[in-house]
Amino acid sequence: MQWLDAIIQGVLLGGMYAQYALGMALMFGVMRIVNIAHGDVMILLSLIAVTLAGVVPVGNLGLILLVVPIAVALGWVLQKFILNKVVGADPLPSLIATFGLSIALQNLMLEIWSADTRSLPSSGIASESFNIGPIYVGLLPVIVLICAFCITAGLDGVLRFTRFGRGLRAAAADTEAAAMAGVNPKKIYATATAIAVGILGLAAVFAALRATVSPADGPAQLIYAFEAVIIGGMGSIWGAFVGAMVLGVAQAVGLRIDPGLGILFGHLVFLAVLAGRPQGLMARK
Amino acid sequence: MSEKTTYMRVQRQTRSSRVAMTICVMVLVGLVTMPWWATSGNIRWAIELSCYIAVAQMWNLLAGYAGLVSVGQQAFIGVAGYTLFVLAQNFGVNPFLAVPLSIITPALLAVPTYLLLHRLDGPYFAIGTWVVAEAVRLATSNIDYVNAGAGLTLRVMTNYSQHEREVAFVILCAILLLVTVGGSYWLLRSRHGLALTAMRDNAVAAASQGVNVNRLRFVIFIAAAVGTGFAGSIYYMAQLRITPAAGFDPFWASMCIFIVMVGGIGAIEGAIIGALIYFCADRFFGEYGSAYMIVLGLMTLIIALYARGGVWGLLQKLGDHPWFPVRRKLIVEDKS
Repeated sequence: MQWLDAIIQGVLLGGMYAQYALGMALMFGVMRIVNIAHGDVMILLSLIAVTLAGVVPVGNLGLILLVVPIAVALGWVLQKFILNKVVGADPLPSLIATFGLSIALQNLMLEIWSADTRSLPSSGIASESFNIGPIYVGLLPVIVLICAFCITAGLDGVLRFTRFGRGLRAAAADTEAAAMAGVNPKKIYATATAIAVGILGLAAVFAALRATVSPADGPAQLIYAFEAVIIGGMGSIWGAFVGAMVLGVAQAVGLRIDPGLGILFGHLVFLAVLAGRPQGLMARK
Repeated sequence: MSEKTTYMRVQRQTRSSRVAMTICVMVLVGLVTMPWWATSGNIRWAIELSCYIAVAQMWNLLAGYAGLVSVGQQAFIGVAGYTLFVLAQNFGVNPFLAVPLSIITPALLAVPTYLLLHRLDGPYFAIGTWVVAEAVRLATSNIDYVNAGAGLTLRVMTNYSQHEREVAFVILCAILLLVTVGGSYWLLRSRHGLALTAMRDNAVAAASQGVNVNRLRFVIFIAAAVGTGFAGSIYYMAQLRITPAAGFDPFWASMCIFIVMVGGIGAIEGAIIGALIYFCADRFFGEYGSAYMIVLGLMTLIIALYARGGVWGLLQKLGDHPWFPVRRKLIVEDKS
């Protein structure tokens, strides 16, 4: 029963990781770029959310409605002033640029918010739970998981069925050919980044509600997102979702074995997948 | 009618390189004789600077030539440091002899790391190396044999007088610089250097010219791990203490990236200039803490966006005076 509980908690934790991972999968799929500052941007949005909550009493839903537009705008700025300049076949410039951004952001947040851990005041939802048999399940983690599922399904649907999705897939396959066929890659890239960071905005509010955040937490979130994407299979939206579940379960099970082993177990499962099934669990090949 | 003969020779040295070579020899001689003329504080600085140059040079070889961007070089630093501490403290090996032995473990770690990660695409490879470094750090924090999270202290160093220690350190540092900087120079001037330069410019084109890109990358990854580990074990021997948080600190990766990008990627000179800049900046501005780090981060960002050649790239625009020329220049002379 203890292990069933670990698996359930792991899947719920995976819902959080899926929200980090989706944006990363989308950006890498479209631009072959990994934003090293992905986790730091999420933490920045969380801290903004915590500060906003102290200033404007809008409730959690209102906070999401405030933070997500900020996130989308941040994504647009990121694309316009940094990523557009480093998109290309060579991975080095984009890595270095976003790495520099990550260091700068972490320390900027440290200057503004200090190293304290912060969280959103839990107004009921965060502490509510219900029972499935003998297992306690938190209401908030379930909401997070449902949101992650809906975003994954929505994103997958957008990519499959809309004009934007077709343009995006075309630009991902061959940017120049897509441009000749009338797709504007810059616009596609900007939209993709805006969506990716927008999802992070939602994740940021949930992260601050669920647990605490502090300026140095970004890199760990980046690594979880990355592991989820690779476990699931590069280029697959549902893969990122499934990978996040696997990672969450691995961490929760490791944590039950020894409190010091939780995150290490996640890393080991990632390395095992890389050794045994390098294309990922959900890859089409 | 006079006979005309054409002489051809390949010129590899330039005037600037002879000057640079002379300076290098003088610096090495100065470094080795430091215990007789410098203060202990200055020797500590020299050790630190040598380690920065070595680690950055190895990262330059990886990212600048082999196209393998790693943000997990701290794995090799920590592993080599821990090997040194365990050999010297638990097995009673002479610590100065344990330094060359401690480069075996980074090599052993580098083989499976590369074999696992080489399947990942460029940017994902980078984060993959980070995951490996984190996994090794967390594993080390859970091993009681190496005192888990509390780390190890090198108590055996008290068996040696301060002068003995300093002499050994400067000799080790001189060897470190010879192996990493001199070794990179030798490698780049060799046949493999041509292949590496071709890979730096375009890996696909290099492969089509018969360069075995995958094998060369594998060899460079292991060589860089060994060089980085060597620097790591000297650094932590000088510190006398190692903990998982320090030995596997991701800041080592940030430092490599900053030094090489600011100095100039894809050039031996770049890593040296960058290390000097970083060393001085750290002395003058280190006290400003996070504000200083914001500036370092923004500088890296700006260089990646606008000046990919770094300081060395800007200097090259002013005039071609290589310190470590790796090119071959064909000189044709007509003599009657």
